[in-house]
Amino acid sequence: MSCGNTESIDIFFNAKSVAIYGASASQNSVGQSIIQNFIRPQYAGKVYAINPKYTQVLGVPCFANLQEIKDPIDLVIIAVPARITPRVFEDIAAKGVKASIIISGGFSETGAIGTELEDEVVAIAKKHGIRIIGPNCIGVVDTLSHIDTFFLPEYRCGRPKPSNVANISLVSQSGAFAAAISDWTSELGLGVSKLVSLGNKCDVDDDDLLCYLAEDNSTQVICYYTEGYDQDKGRTFFDTASRVTPNKPVIVVKAGRGQRAKAAASSHTGSLAGSDSIADAAYKQSGVIRVDNFEHMFDAAKALAMQPPAKGDRVLMITNGGGLGVMTTDALEDLELAIPSPSKELTEIYKERLPSYCAIGNPIDVVGDANASRYDIVFEEAIKSGEYDMFVVGMLLQTPGLSMEITNVIANHQRQSNLPFVVVSMGGGFTTKAGEIMELMGVPTYATGEKAALAAKGLAQYGEIKYRDKFNKTLISNKP
Amino acid sequence: MKEAKKIFKTALEEGRTFVLEHEAKDIMKAYGIPIPAYDTAITAEEAIEKSKAIGFPVVLKILSKDVLHKSDAGGVKINLKSEEEVRKAFNEIMENAKNYGKEKGIDVDLSRGVFISDFADMGTEIIVGVTKDPQFGHALMAGLGGIFVEVLKDVSFRLIPFTENDAREMLKELKAYKILEGIRGEPPRDIDSLVNVMLAVSKMIAENPEITELDCNPTFVYEKGKGTLVVDARILIGSSEASH
Repeated sequence: MSCGNTESIDIFFNAKSVAIYGASASQNSVGQSIIQNFIRPQYAGKVYAINPKYTQVLGVPCFANLQEIKDPIDLVIIAVPARITPRVFEDIAAKGVKASIIISGGFSETGAIGTELEDEVVAIAKKHGIRIIGPNCIGVVDTLSHIDTFFLPEYRCGRPKPSNVANISLVSQSGAFAAAISDWTSELGLGVSKLVSLGNKCDVDDDDLLCYLAEDNSTQVICYYTEGYDQDKGRTFFDTASRVTPNKPVIVVKAGRGQRAKAAASSHTGSLAGSDSIADAAYKQSGVIRVDNFEHMFDAAKALAMQPPAKGDRVLMITNGGGLGVMTTDALEDLELAIPSPSKELTEIYKERLPSYCAIGNPIDVVGDANASRYDIVFEEAIKSGEYDMFVVGMLLQTPGLSMEITNVIANHQRQSNLPFVVVSMGGGFTTKAGEIMELMGVPTYATGEKAALAAKGLAQYGEIKYRDKFNKTLISNKP
Repeated sequence: MKEAKKIFKTALEEGRTFVLEHEAKDIMKAYGIPIPAYDTAITAEEAIEKSKAIGFPVVLKILSKDVLHKSDAGGVKINLKSEEEVRKAFNEIMENAKNYGKEKGIDVDLSRGVFISDFADMGTEIIVGVTKDPQFGHALMAGLGGIFVEVLKDVSFRLIPFTENDAREMLKELKAYKILEGIRGEPPRDIDSLVNVMLAVSKMIAENPEITELDCNPTFVYEKGKGTLVVDARILIGSSEASH
């Protein structure tokens, strides 16, 4: 198996001309919502409507079929009843289009008749070299090219934006989750490049997207939501992931920790296995980071997109509030990260340079009257000492003494040392704003110590995947 | 591995999806997996001769295509220390198998006689197994036997094939790993030899993807430097077209 076929996938995200089969003049219909996405000024390509009932839809020229359009078409989006899709594909084949997205449902997800229809469509597509995303999906959103086939009006389902710093892309088996994530990430301030809903995966599958996104320069972290794989497809995903993960982080949320698969097995091993523990092993072995839920996914993805992976597991927590320090180091400890105290030498230096009432340890508490220069001292000496691989910085901005200069201090030390930093900025409107400024400067910022700890864990996990034996693992697991 | 292929062919021709114990051991031996000395015997006299050659104590087990679960059929006798015990065990096994056949309404084939093996010293009990997942293909499982696997489900998995590093990580993932490292004054176990068994099983499956399930249970790992023994092995097979 190879990753040689990414060009055929690229059309889905960079089509210069799009035709919408089943474009409709009725309000709130799927066929109208999709047209609305493409007549936004941000989409720079050409758009055509296909429907024998109209000559135009929302001002977009409408044709009875693709043959009537003179110009070439890159991508056809299909929102017609399932039973007429074979005819649509004959039309697509005759026009010579190579990419299609079937939004419509009514295929293999519904039973035998639907499966037959899906097979028929796939056969036509295979014969003519047409790639298909779907059916039974909501398609793709590309925040850079503004290709957007989600039939969900923007006022109900927000669209994420790309970030100048770093972006993630997400592939979801479920359309509903893809939509919810689109809406959610539009408000999270997390840079997103691409969202893809795969639906029935009759052609384009997890593997194709993994190959493509691995080479996509606008994607820094690849995220997946999956419920399972078709026969043997878990194995091909594993093979591809093994090649991708040393170069780009892949994070998965997989549903279905259930026990169903166990029933069929007759041997001892089979009865203990269950598909999910094997999926778990496969992810571990191929360097895919598996997380429990979307919140963890986005916390880890943001850090991995914006920061270099850690080269070891030693974390220094710096805070200007004791409580936050304790909460965060508890969380770090639970996640099996090392929190070593500063060495005797480093402690001596801190005692000389910091006020005597600062608590020197791990966490280092520079206390409530700290200004940015106290943090500066801590970073400078800790980085010089080489005793830490990563920094978690508590930045409680409720204290009047801490100016916004702190963001510069953090960003500068991060850039100069190229060590990963994550920031906790806890509080209300002011601190949230400060967090946004911090992120514009390239350092991921979280609302709680627990979230920052998860982010730090992600950076260590990926460091271990990327650097393998060279990763400096100091903590021996102390599980019972 | 021609040896394995020939055994699978015979099994499928006989309508079996499992291989007999001596066949399983032949395959294991071909892959360098350490197993106790073994042989087969058709008569009580032959069983005694072979037992003497292996050295007492020995274990006798029924060898028949009609009996998969040998203990249930009264087909296993362990710790046999003399010629007399071997003779008695042989006859009882044959009698039990006939009765088992009557109960099930089948004519149990007794023509292969019994499997004889050295009665292995007790070591730390390990289970090494293979399963074939419909999505991911073959995976190897490892865990400590007894309550660790039965009650605590303390097992770990890796897809086949895997590296030595993966094998070591797998063991470290076990909650019971400390037992292998040696606790409460117990000397450490021979982890290297266990890792070698896991790698050999991985190779065996990679070369014989028609194996659908395998249990090396129990496997005994001894003190460091004293190796590992796969005491019992069960191999189930599917059609030879199957790939992993």
